[in-house]
Amino acid sequence: MNEARALRVAIADDALLLREGIAKVLEGGGIDVVASVGTGDELLEVVRGGGIDAAVLDIRMPPSYRDEGIAALEAMRAGGSTIGVLLLSMYATPEYALRVMGAGSGTGYLLKERVSEPQTLVRAVETVASGGSVVDPEVVEQLVKRTRADDPLSRLTERERSVLELMAQGYSNGGIAQTLFLGLKTVETHVRSILQKLDLEESPEHHRRVLAVLTLLGER
Amino acid sequence: MAPGRKGRIARRTAVLTAVVALSLTMEIAGYHATPAAERPEVSYTTLHALVPLVFAACAGVAWKIGPTRAPARLMVAFVVLWIPQSIYRVIGEWEWVWPVVRGVDLGWAVIAGILVLVYPKGFLSDAFDRWVAGIALVASVVNLLAVLLLASPESAGCTACAPNPYQLVDAPALYGLIDVGYRIVGVGLALAIAGRLLVRWVRASVPARTVAFLMPLALFAWATTLAAQAVTYATATTTDIVLATVSLIAMASIPVSFDAGVSHARNMRARVADLMRITREGADRGLWAESLARTLRDASVRVYWWDEERGRYADAAGVPIDDAEADPRGSHSILPVASPLGAPIALIRHDRVLTDNMRLLDGVSSALRLSVDNGRLRSEIERTLEQVRQSRQRIVEAGVEARRRIERDLHDGAQQHLVSLGMRLRLVANEARDRGVEPLGAEIDGTITMLNQALRELRELAHGIHPSLLSQGGLALAVPELAGRCPVPVEVDVQAEGRLPELIESTAYFVVAEALANIAKHSEATRAWVRAHLEDGWLVLVIRDNGRGGASVDAGTGMLGIADRVEALGGTLELESPPGAGTTLTVRMPLPAPSD
Repeated sequence: MNEARALRVAIADDALLLREGIAKVLEGGGIDVVASVGTGDELLEVVRGGGIDAAVLDIRMPPSYRDEGIAALEAMRAGGSTIGVLLLSMYATPEYALRVMGAGSGTGYLLKERVSEPQTLVRAVETVASGGSVVDPEVVEQLVKRTRADDPLSRLTERERSVLELMAQGYSNGGIAQTLFLGLKTVETHVRSILQKLDLEESPEHHRRVLAVLTLLGER
Repeated sequence: MAPGRKGRIARRTAVLTAVVALSLTMEIAGYHATPAAERPEVSYTTLHALVPLVFAACAGVAWKIGPTRAPARLMVAFVVLWIPQSIYRVIGEWEWVWPVVRGVDLGWAVIAGILVLVYPKGFLSDAFDRWVAGIALVASVVNLLAVLLLASPESAGCTACAPNPYQLVDAPALYGLIDVGYRIVGVGLALAIAGRLLVRWVRASVPARTVAFLMPLALFAWATTLAAQAVTYATATTTDIVLATVSLIAMASIPVSFDAGVSHARNMRARVADLMRITREGADRGLWAESLARTLRDASVRVYWWDEERGRYADAAGVPIDDAEADPRGSHSILPVASPLGAPIALIRHDRVLTDNMRLLDGVSSALRLSVDNGRLRSEIERTLEQVRQSRQRIVEAGVEARRRIERDLHDGAQQHLVSLGMRLRLVANEARDRGVEPLGAEIDGTITMLNQALRELRELAHGIHPSLLSQGGLALAVPELAGRCPVPVEVDVQAEGRLPELIESTAYFVVAEALANIAKHSEATRAWVRAHLEDGWLVLVIRDNGRGGASVDAGTGMLGIADRVEALGGTLELESPPGAGTTLTVRMPLPAPSD
């Protein structure tokens, strides 16, 4: 991140213990936690107040403990807010990941237990704040593990599969190159080949690529 | 059975033919034996000859439909006893015979009276009847003795007859007194019977009149003419031909009335069969009482049902029976109906005349007993079934609720705590590294990895107990997710848009989960299909595979528990699994009405 000032983040989770823990981890990563609330509605209030770069929120919150987090995300996007939104969930549910990605760019979906990996959490917040996409590796793993007849994934090479998984997790070509210790050009070649084999269009917008890959994995 | 019946019919036919032939022969012989000057008109004689024929014909009918054999036998006896009137002139020369014949020449009247008395039951049913019959028989015996011992050809009105060999004394005055007295007693008895029937008829309600109006009318007409004849006989010797004709017609109408009445009662029994049918169809109490009234053609029929709570009888509207109606001396009789175990069921207040037809009333009370027993059993079974159904549903509901609560407790409790713990451990590890205690940091990292593994297992466990996705996104989200976990490729088609009741969704989810688990474990299938759609207020699930088939609900596959849950919600489960041809599981569950 090349921004001079620290990111300003709001946290929403009905469990106070976790809220405090998340705040501590983020602060340890140089992020300003400016608000910490217990419900989606309260978070929407804070976001409307302005001055927030990103929000970290639980999916399951009062009052019905169902999908209040995603509803809050959709409400923010409907209200025109483009701040980064990172959703945390106890379960890795691909259907939710797709819904989160479908809300637009600058969104992320992580398992709650990633809070014990400060780097992952901090990097995810920074990614969504800058308009990038983050999908928990376990979600991708579940999707890739899904067995279908005439699986298009069977047309991919081993290396292409690894690249695809990182694409689905929201990594940019640069990120993939770094993670897999490959040259950027090589990664770009792999990506083009994958998109061609899976019949996907190369999208100029990064998060659309993530959504397309996830959708393909989910519908395959 | 058949030969006995045939034999009986043949015997009866022979008896009837014999008495008819005898009667006609004697009638004709008597006519010819009478001096031309004393002969009645031919038409009167013909009518006179027809009376026994009518009795014989009615005897044939009565044998077939009568309540006992007595009426038919009485009718045959009548035919035989009708003969002496016309023949004692023929046999007047046989001095040993004619006094006996003369002595029984009014026997037909006694028989006719007794026939009326045994109507309609076929036997003498009460003291009055027995007294009347007794007096008539005693009077007949006295008359026979008087004729034998006292009558001379002159006093007996048979001038052509030979002297009476049995005669002890010649006492024409005494004989005449007894002769006339006998007739007066007979007329008196006949009038008493007719009067009694008439009173019963006047006091009776509609059905009694339809059953009994012919009989007293016939008897009354006959008794009146008989009385007039007796008076004529006592005062003069000429017989009024008109009066005699009316008397004959009245006499002939007695057996006809008898058969008509009995046949009417039989029709009633046929209607009891209709009542039985209504009973079997399970009509309610009001309707049943109405049908009963229709069956008995007695609008005055009331049914009072036993009210267990209040310990009294009351009609279908709840109005209790009053004591006046229960009075056994009124125009109505009370028929108590009790269950086989003796528990009171109902009282049927019916027209007294129906008491004479015990088989009809037996039929009615059997029908009622059946109706009540059926109704009781049916409502008991329905109540029990409803209770069982509700309790089954409650058990399933409680199970779903318990699973949901456990999942939520895990989510908000243990899982949350473990996540926080992992986070704290991470902070401690970082702290350790900051302080330069690298081995401790690494140790804690290892612990965190183990903790995350534990979290992962806990997550799977919680998901298996109750998938949060199901409560959040319904079948449309949860079923594809479930299918995605199945190692066999599954094609999913969920057309249940929107949310269904939680209980239905959860049951449907576990049906699919269990079916897919079975497919994965046992079917050796390479493809599976899951389809869920709504059809006329039912959720229909079809789970199909292309495996080896041969699955069954009770093979310990866990399908039995699924079937129980589905049935508890009023649904059905159908497993079609021919060996080698895949397995198709079809589950249907009723959705509550939209208003619920």
